[in-house]
Amino acid sequence: MAVLNPLKSAEHTIMQDTDLAGPLVFCLAFGGSLLLSGKLHFGYIYGIGLVGCLAMYCLLNLMSLNGVSAGIIVSVLGYCLLPMVFLSFSAVLLSLKGVVGLVLVIVTVMWCSVSASKLFVSALAMDSQQLLVAYPCALVYGVFALLTVF
Amino acid sequence: MDVPSEYRATKASQKRRPKSQKMGQPPQQMQPQQQPYYNDFDMQNQQQQNYMQHFGQPDMFYGGYNPSFAGASGPEQLAQQYLNDPMANMAMQYGSSLAGQGKDIVNKNLEKVMSSSKVKYYFAVDTAYVGKKLGLLFFPFTHSDWSIRYNQDEPVAPRYEINAPDLYIPCMAFVTYILVAGMVLGTQDRFTPEQLGTQASSALVWLIIELLAFSLSLYVMNLKSGIKYLDIIAYCGYKFVGMTVSLLAGVMSSKTVYYCVLLWFCISLVFFLMRTLRVQIVPQEVDDGHTRGTKRSLYFLLTVSLAQPLLMWWLSSSIMIYRKL
Repeated sequence: MAVLNPLKSAEHTIMQDTDLAGPLVFCLAFGGSLLLSGKLHFGYIYGIGLVGCLAMYCLLNLMSLNGVSAGIIVSVLGYCLLPMVFLSFSAVLLSLKGVVGLVLVIVTVMWCSVSASKLFVSALAMDSQQLLVAYPCALVYGVFALLTVF
Repeated sequence: MDVPSEYRATKASQKRRPKSQKMGQPPQQMQPQQQPYYNDFDMQNQQQQNYMQHFGQPDMFYGGYNPSFAGASGPEQLAQQYLNDPMANMAMQYGSSLAGQGKDIVNKNLEKVMSSSKVKYYFAVDTAYVGKKLGLLFFPFTHSDWSIRYNQDEPVAPRYEINAPDLYIPCMAFVTYILVAGMVLGTQDRFTPEQLGTQASSALVWLIIELLAFSLSLYVMNLKSGIKYLDIIAYCGYKFVGMTVSLLAGVMSSKTVYYCVLLWFCISLVFFLMRTLRVQIVPQEVDDGHTRGTKRSLYFLLTVSLAQPLLMWWLSSSIMIYRKL
């Protein structure tokens, strides 16, 4: 539920137990909804997810004072994919290439990245770097959005 | 003969070939020395032992399974053998030890090229620094103090010193540039996912060429300066910020806007780099031939600064130029 409310601050014990089941379900749901709009992109989703997780792992290891483990990264990024799943479901109903679509895409990407960065910052105790962490998350989710729209 | 047997046991992975020849010679003599390594050394299982030693690490299970090899019969015993095969155990152990060694080698070599604490220095940034640095890249003309504070011969972390170079902005700008290029190609209906890879690799190649050219020219012109390779990468990476913004401006309005924004960023980047590098390259003027030294460093500075707009234009116009068709 911390994912769905990006404005509330999260406590730092929220990521003590990392699980990968939720993220996998969300990835499959994302791929399934893309399938509904006629795009067979499962391979791209896995590839981009892997590359994004690897990049975030490197970046967060360099930026934080104590290191991070890969499990936390994968589970945070996977859980925050939930708004992107909503976006791709809505892409089935209305085309996203207009102005409305653009606004929706931007809002969704920002929602995903703000909640992901909030979880990262609270789990790793990095002060005054939330915006800096949010930007790479926004880039990763932006690539997913590119998949959804084009 | 004690030394060769111990040597053989530890250097198993590298010395497989000579070992097989050595074992051919007097296997009986090896017997007493190998007692500490093998639980049960049978004369019957000489062949088995010779073959197993090729894997290096002696398997402690081997002694227990000796009789089963000698008297194998019946399908269940065969199956049992296959599952509990000490060969499989040994192979797994060998594989895992090889993987461990490989990882150690990679880590050691990586430490030599890029020590992680040095790279971490470039990422110790916070939001205020990034904001101010971006502002400086957009408009460097009003900034007056370009010196960098040093903390015992080491620059202060970028968090506390706005003039210090960092690697966060260039990395993010590079990735953003690739994604924006993909988006622009998408609006021109020229987008395939392979294009992302193509653009990324071409930009990276130019970056590496720049790095090599500047390192080489620093070395050739004998300019002693405190600039490290990562600093050069950082300075060459700042142009991606300008390229990204000009691409965005160009895609939202016409081509002339793109050219104007590009020109603005070229000028400001030239100014920024000249001011920053002048502080870093020119401090030693008390050596011999000081006038020649400062002229050389000035030429170097000019070349570095003017190469940036050229590359900015080259890389980004290939994205934008097809709009005419």
